[in-house]
Amino acid sequence: MIQIQNLKKSFRTEEVETLALNGVNLNVAEGEFVAIMGPSGCGKSTLLNIIGMLDNPTDGSYQFAGHEVSGLKESQRTQLRKGNLGFVFQSFNLIDELTVYENVELPLIYLKMNKSERKQKVKAVLERMKIAHREKHFPQQLSGGQQQRVAISRAVVTNPKLILADEPTGNLDSKNGIEVMNLLTELNQEGTTIVMVTHSDRDSHYAHRVVNLFDGQIVTESKNREIGAMV
Amino acid sequence: MFKNHIKIAWRSLRKQTFFTCLNTIGLAIGITGGLLIALFIYDELSFDTMFTDAERIHRINVDVKFGGNESKMAEVSAPMAAALEADFPQVELATRFNTLGSTLIRRSDTQRNSKEDAATFVDDSFFEMFGLKLAVGDEETALSEPNTLILSETSAQKLFGDSKAIGETVVLNNTGTYTVTGIIPDMPKNSLLRDCSVFIAMSGLEDSRTDEWTSHNYATFIKLSPNARIQDFQAPLQAMMGKYVIPYAQRFFPGITEEAFIASGNRYELSSIPLTDIHLHSDMEAEMSANSSVQNIYILSFIGLFLLVLACVNFMNLSTAYSLKRSKEVGIRKTLGSSKVALLRQFLMESGLISFLSLILALFLAILVLPLFNSLAGKAIEIPFTSPSFWAILLVSTMVLALFSGWYPAFFMSRFMPISVLKGSGEKTVGGSKVRNMLVVFQFSISILLIISTAVVYQQLNYIQSKDLGFTKDQVLIVEEVFAAGPQLHSFKERVSQLAQVKSATISGFLPTPSFRTDTSFMKEGLLNQEDAINMQIWSVDHDYLSTLDIEVLAGRGFNRQFAADSTALILNETAVSILGVTPEEALGMRLSRDLGSENPRFLTVVGVIKDFHYESLRRGIEALSLQISSSNDAMAVRLNAGDFSAAVASIENIWNKVAPEQPFNYRFMDDAFNSTYEADQNLGQIFITFTILSIFIACLGLFGLAAFNAEKRTKEIGVRKVLGASVGQITLRLTKDFLRLVGMAILISLPLGWFVMDKWLEGFSYRIEISVWVFLLAAFMAISIAVLTVSYQSIKAAIVNPVKSLRTE
Repeated sequence: MIQIQNLKKSFRTEEVETLALNGVNLNVAEGEFVAIMGPSGCGKSTLLNIIGMLDNPTDGSYQFAGHEVSGLKESQRTQLRKGNLGFVFQSFNLIDELTVYENVELPLIYLKMNKSERKQKVKAVLERMKIAHREKHFPQQLSGGQQQRVAISRAVVTNPKLILADEPTGNLDSKNGIEVMNLLTELNQEGTTIVMVTHSDRDSHYAHRVVNLFDGQIVTESKNREIGAMV
Repeated sequence: MFKNHIKIAWRSLRKQTFFTCLNTIGLAIGITGGLLIALFIYDELSFDTMFTDAERIHRINVDVKFGGNESKMAEVSAPMAAALEADFPQVELATRFNTLGSTLIRRSDTQRNSKEDAATFVDDSFFEMFGLKLAVGDEETALSEPNTLILSETSAQKLFGDSKAIGETVVLNNTGTYTVTGIIPDMPKNSLLRDCSVFIAMSGLEDSRTDEWTSHNYATFIKLSPNARIQDFQAPLQAMMGKYVIPYAQRFFPGITEEAFIASGNRYELSSIPLTDIHLHSDMEAEMSANSSVQNIYILSFIGLFLLVLACVNFMNLSTAYSLKRSKEVGIRKTLGSSKVALLRQFLMESGLISFLSLILALFLAILVLPLFNSLAGKAIEIPFTSPSFWAILLVSTMVLALFSGWYPAFFMSRFMPISVLKGSGEKTVGGSKVRNMLVVFQFSISILLIISTAVVYQQLNYIQSKDLGFTKDQVLIVEEVFAAGPQLHSFKERVSQLAQVKSATISGFLPTPSFRTDTSFMKEGLLNQEDAINMQIWSVDHDYLSTLDIEVLAGRGFNRQFAADSTALILNETAVSILGVTPEEALGMRLSRDLGSENPRFLTVVGVIKDFHYESLRRGIEALSLQISSSNDAMAVRLNAGDFSAAVASIENIWNKVAPEQPFNYRFMDDAFNSTYEADQNLGQIFITFTILSIFIACLGLFGLAAFNAEKRTKEIGVRKVLGASVGQITLRLTKDFLRLVGMAILISLPLGWFVMDKWLEGFSYRIEISVWVFLLAAFMAISIAVLTVSYQSIKAAIVNPVKSLRTE
């Protein structure tokens, strides 16, 4: 699903140029669950953003489901992203002015889905994430764990091929963190590809494969033998 | 999607109450101001457009320079109308007015007079010319007979109540008796006929049949045939001079030719002005009603536009500042697949919603302040709530406003990059502060410009009101229409003069406030040719005129009852003497005659020269003037001693009621009459000050919001500085300084601009102030003070917060 070759990304400020990614090669197969780890500033999030088509690489190639993504314009990336990708963030990033239901509905609106279909899909995913009873609440009325469940609902409501999770348990206590990881595992088991950035060793064990980044390069890759070992 | 946009817009506006309120109030004030000004301008532009075929009606004017005097007149000679009709096939119709001015009117079966503001003789083609219909009576015959008149519905009601007026007789100014032959609906308020309430058949006016081509007393309107062009009419119109005026003048100046007339520096130019242009483009002598100036329309349009732009700028500034709080939302929406266009739509929806809320608030505000505005502007404007086009224009304008004020914030926000804003670095990277600063500079430049304009307008008005006019206008009471006292008039004057509160009194309709004017040509003895003619105002006064009005005699003497020969004496002003080319002393004893073309001219001898005094608006210069002893019974000016004026007025009224029972006692004070000459300027001044305050208020709202936002954005910086030992004063100064720099830039831009604009305005006055440097210092000081007051509240509030709290919130 993802083929990345010799990917480079540099950031330029007035005085210095920082190389955030320096020749990354990574392939992710459909249905895989990959964790990206590494110390702060190693380029994890930059890589995730490029995979998530929120940013363009400076150099190298990135193919998503056979399409070359690097060099696409923002509007073209938006088109490709819609419906194919779901995002889960550490800080949930729900829109405070929208209710739980409306937050989850939003990506479907951008897909121009009709109202009844949207309703059916949102209801289903909220039921599944066990948050349907909170559908009329606003994000700030929910606990962190509940907010992240809403965020996951929003990420999966379009049935994306790929979910990108940026430290999804970073703002949660361990109980809620485990619940979220179980949800992601469940989604993966149903066929969704997941790429997750994490600092947590425990979370990384949920993945099939762990990629370690250091100074913008992949230094080690290891496979987890037993999925869900920490559960 | 639309519903979603509305919902989100409404919720985010509700969430940021402070910001929404500032924006809505600012925009509402802008819309209210814009709306009122637009209604005012609409009213001004609609003048005289209601008459049938208004676009085909034109008034004939004449510009005469003769004998050292120049007059641009809205009236032409009596025979002009008939000649135009006869000579030009494209002239379909001509109608003349000969206005009487304010007139006393009574039913012939009573002695009790009432006053009508304007009565006028008019040709019977009047109805056809203006497409007017009588409410009662027949337009074909109503004004065809001499000594008939028609009354407006209001005056008919006043005179006859509900009883039938047609066929009844009325007496005008206690002299002529007329039969009422028609009732006409009141003239539209926005027409040049608005003051006219009595229309008298022209056929009863002997003078209207005169062949005098050099006496200009008839406002003359022509209606061109549908395909005729007024441009093609100018040259043939001017040819009337050679065809009629010169041959007539040859009676007095034998042998005079058009060429010789022009060669001696004289001028006689005929022109025309479209009826619908008169109100805004005509400022001549003998206008039928007070006109306005298109310059005022331009000034007001600019002010209205400024106000709206200021409000929009506010909106842009506050929206972009507060958009930082929305950056996360933009990031999420973009991540979830929203396009830039969808975001643009959403933010424009928000500005649309604020504009709509502002519109509702503005309508309430407009209803509330309309009476005040009307009194400021001297109008009776109503908001046309029942007109669908009003609503359509209002809604479309609001949408345009929303687009204009919303496009920049929308564009700005939709450009946020999702990665940076979602990573939380958004608030530092979003920027846009350069544009915001420019907008603040723009707002303050306009406000300072308005402060300068207001100060200059007021200084000029003050200068006019306190300028030495050459006579003393204070403590002078003018009793109007004193002719109503008939033979008792002189007894009235005697008895009033004897009152302890009265210094002196004079009877004359010629006063240095709006009143009678007559000018004529004088010849010097022995020089009876047109090159040496001098054209002067000739005013009929009595012996007490100079002393009552405090007019200084420079040479010779004033009129004196002791000198029987004073009935043939003349007093000149300085300007007249200088046109004669002599000194005041040399002028004494000079003999002048106005009997042009006479075998035995009667000569008047100059017995005195008086100091020039301003008898017209200070916009005009002083022209040649002469005084002679003659009867003019229209008004009596009474100089009062200092003290209780109301008691003095009561005493005078008491005498009036004894000498002239049942006649109305109309009076006003000379300084009020004088000030009324500057009413348009005073209205302009008041409108200026009102809108200056509004624009400053709007600018302050914006600055207040920005200061609040700035303080909030810098919470962490303030906390760190305080921890490191900064005082509240230092922090306040730091936060305020940035804004003051912007106000400083605005001052630099607006001062030269203000000087340029107001110097141009002052050029319209013959007597004007020089703009003093204090005006600029005042404007700069006010702008700085207002900015400091506005900003420092937020700055101090931020500076006194406990740093522990501010650092924790980060």
